[in-house]
Amino acid sequence: MSHLAHANARKQTAVQTDELITANGVSVVLGNQLILQNIDLSIPQGSFVSLIGPSGCGKSTLLKVLAGLVTPTSGSVSIAGLSATEAARRRMIGLVFQDANLLPWKNAVDNASMLLSIANRSLSRAELQARGQEMLELVGLGDASNKYPHELSGGMRQRVAIARALALDPAVLLMDEPFGALDAITRDSMGQSLLEIWQRTGKTIVLVTHSIDEAVHLSNHVHVLGIRPGRITESMDIDLPYPRDLSVAEDPEFVKQAVHLRMLLRASHQPGGAS
Amino acid sequence: MTDQPVTYSADSRLASIWSAAAASWLPPITLILAIVVAWEAAVRIFSISSFIIPAPTEVAKSLVAQWDTLMQATLVTAGEILFGFVVSVVVGIAIALIIVRFDWLGRALYPLVVLFQNVPKVALAPIFILWFGYGLAPKIGLILVIAFFPVTLSMLAGMKSVDHSLLLLMNSVGASRTQILFRILVPHSLPSLMAGTKIAATLSVIGAIVGEFAGASDGLGYIIQFASTQLDTALVFAALLLVSVLGVAFYYAAEILERIVVPWRPKFNDA
Repeated sequence: MSHLAHANARKQTAVQTDELITANGVSVVLGNQLILQNIDLSIPQGSFVSLIGPSGCGKSTLLKVLAGLVTPTSGSVSIAGLSATEAARRRMIGLVFQDANLLPWKNAVDNASMLLSIANRSLSRAELQARGQEMLELVGLGDASNKYPHELSGGMRQRVAIARALALDPAVLLMDEPFGALDAITRDSMGQSLLEIWQRTGKTIVLVTHSIDEAVHLSNHVHVLGIRPGRITESMDIDLPYPRDLSVAEDPEFVKQAVHLRMLLRASHQPGGAS
Repeated sequence: MTDQPVTYSADSRLASIWSAAAASWLPPITLILAIVVAWEAAVRIFSISSFIIPAPTEVAKSLVAQWDTLMQATLVTAGEILFGFVVSVVVGIAIALIIVRFDWLGRALYPLVVLFQNVPKVALAPIFILWFGYGLAPKIGLILVIAFFPVTLSMLAGMKSVDHSLLLLMNSVGASRTQILFRILVPHSLPSLMAGTKIAATLSVIGAIVGEFAGASDGLGYIIQFASTQLDTALVFAALLLVSVLGVAFYYAAEILERIVVPWRPKFNDA
């Protein structure tokens, strides 16, 4: 018994040290402004990491750097040993933004397979549809595949956007405030679904959020970003066991971690405070 | 943003379309009838000479008397409008695509297009007659220079309104510029493009009539020109009526085209 536990612990450590994404001294200057300053980041394979910070702290820019969409002015990003641009070219990055950005002239299943059809031109229409349908089922929209975006609610549209990213079978899912435009109730259930998807697929997820509850509820690691220039001021582990459901919010431990995170956040933009 | 998709049953939807149609058609029809009656009464009461303002009954008489000539002229003008409209839309779309797809050419072309828009195109009519003669070509040319601009401009506006993060998504999977253009920008621009196309349909009618004014031996514009030199004002009004009917017909044809091309567009008059 103790042997097994020991082996498990070793495995855990191995997983923990297996870094999928590393950023070394990443700085971004846009125009004359220093957006990100000397970001060091390491994101283990299979982890759920949140980047949290006030508006304008550059957390979205950091996500774009990780996605290979913004080239850092100095420093480097490596994803599974590749540059971010190269990783993007190999379909290792799935992106979800605050706006679902579905194509209004395509139904849910075609929207779900839209990016895949561009990334991999050798797939037939039937293969694309099958993949799209599979992903819709994963996000809980299996019976809405023929619906058009205007027939879907905001939460459902965002689920299709997640399905579209997952259809690429990426190594990492980069999400920029994906639930920011949703109401609180939809937000909660979307977070819960995202946790289930994470556990079922084992994808690494990087979530940009400005919600403390969301960060504590979902992630196992949180990086706090300070403002002007954007830099990582604090990092903390969320020590709550998975699977977590919505009732985790009533757990005293959850409250403790949330309070701690709130304190870190407050401290992180103490000097400027402008947002 | 509502979180509940709204659905209607087919029956109530049809009923609401009918009542909406009645509600939107009844007021203009009533007003038109009132104006026609007032017009007729005014002409009779003040005994206005028919070569200054013909009474509606005079116009109707002229319409019946000259029916064959007028119909023949209507066909000629309708042909010019249709041909010119199609050419304008095709050229308008092509210019928009070139501007968006090829940076350098686009930057070179766009100011020229805007500059050209400020040329009073009606003034080009005599030049086109000089260059192309009295046939179909000068009319098509004139319609083209009058009507392509709203097509180009609306399509460009539609393509520019694409959300930036959608383009980021496309870039993140290595989409080529041509793929982004044809899979995202062009379909996205269709609702806006169709709005421009409806304007082009109306402008095509004006283009055809102006072209016929400048020099023609047929068509409604020619009849208007000819009848006014004969002081046959009733015939002028009859021809004008037919021009208006053509204009409305082309506008609604463009609207039907819009419903076909952009089925996903929310219809404003449903609300």
